[in-house]
Amino acid sequence: MRIELDRPRCEGHGLCEEAAPALMHLDDDGELVIDVPEVDGDQAVAAAKAAVRVCPVAALRLVTV
Amino acid sequence: MNPMESDIDIWDDDITVDPYPTYAALRELGGVVHLPKNNLYAVTRYDLIRDVLADPASFSSTSLGFNPMVNEALQGTSLASDPPMHTQLRATLSANLTPRALRGLKVTIDEKADKLVAELVSTGSFEAIDSLARAFPLDIVADLIGFGGHVKENMLRWGQAAMQVIGPLNHRTQESFPIAGELYGWCSSVTAEDLAPGSIGRGIFDAEARGDIPEGSAGHIIHQYLGAGVDTTIASIGNIVALFGRHPEQLELVRNNPELVPAAFAEVLRYWTPLHIWGRTTTREVELDGVTVPAGAQLGILLGAGNRDHRHYDNPDTFDVTRNPVDHLSFGYGPHGCAGQGLARLEGHAIVEALARRVKSLSLGDGYRVPSNITRSFEQLQVLEVEAA
Repeated sequence: MRIELDRPRCEGHGLCEEAAPALMHLDDDGELVIDVPEVDGDQAVAAAKAAVRVCPVAALRLVTV
Repeated sequence: MNPMESDIDIWDDDITVDPYPTYAALRELGGVVHLPKNNLYAVTRYDLIRDVLADPASFSSTSLGFNPMVNEALQGTSLASDPPMHTQLRATLSANLTPRALRGLKVTIDEKADKLVAELVSTGSFEAIDSLARAFPLDIVADLIGFGGHVKENMLRWGQAAMQVIGPLNHRTQESFPIAGELYGWCSSVTAEDLAPGSIGRGIFDAEARGDIPEGSAGHIIHQYLGAGVDTTIASIGNIVALFGRHPEQLELVRNNPELVPAAFAEVLRYWTPLHIWGRTTTREVELDGVTVPAGAQLGILLGAGNRDHRHYDNPDTFDVTRNPVDHLSFGYGPHGCAGQGLARLEGHAIVEALARRVKSLSLGDGYRVPSNITRSFEQLQVLEVEAA
């Protein structure tokens, strides 16, 4: 599955990073970087789902590729 | 299928002061409950509320308030608009409010919170609403926008009125319209020179002068900061004090585990939701939770009912700082999710942290709330005795 970011909508609240630190992080400018856009395996998919879920402005999606 | 019906008045004085028994009853009646007395459909369950807030195409914000005058007055703001117009307005509004824009403020906000809490604790007893819950956010927002003097003195009643008028045309709304009008009048006439150099408010005017944002939008943006950012934050800070006073073991947990500060603030917001109700209107006939809601219907989203939904949170009526409910509904959700939540978190975390550092225990008087259309907060809360840490 692939993590997709709606960049203009992202405001850098950073809750996704807390939910899935292995998959994404805020850089020094506070911009979100998806480090691992393609996720597979139960653990990574669960973390990605948690990140999508906690985004307060619904800027993240998890899509089946 | 038609929705279930209830004959309650959601703006009844007693219900607005203590809505949780009513929320529980409505939530068990259905995910959507028709309230003929209020001419609206209440949305009560967590998942349904998230679905509604995530779908602006079906649930428009053009009717976010519960009377036509306020919806008319809010036209053209990001709050009351739908995509695609909303997208640009939101970006302009939130440019100065994102966590990255606010990073430089964290140290100042933390220091102010610590200083204020230390002073109050040293007095041994204090009234928590005026001296802390109101004083702190008013000070922060005055610095942020760059105003002082009579504006600062008026901001509490202006901020309260701006929320109150979102309600139905009851006496509270009618009494508040003239006061909300004073805030609107000030925001329409304020100029760059009225605001302190280096403040975010001044920066918004500079952006307008450079042509980065549309002409005339600076006053509207400042109006939204003040209308939305004062009363809500006051409510949540009062709730922090009240909940730590009533649940000493939870304060103890945060004192011993300072990494719980963000989780504790999220739980305060979940447990006692600052905004009682928020509106949407259906753009088409929709099926919600198996029932049919007609096109053009007014919805009343009961954020606090969703935050106590046992379908989503275990033991939802328990205040538990270790729960970390990061997906609570108190900031709304989706494209209209609270634009000021980054600032609200800075302020809330600063207060929780300062209390956890400075206070061993609090004993509280009863405290009381007054009926209110939209915001639910303490009007007065006496800390009878505080034991310093």
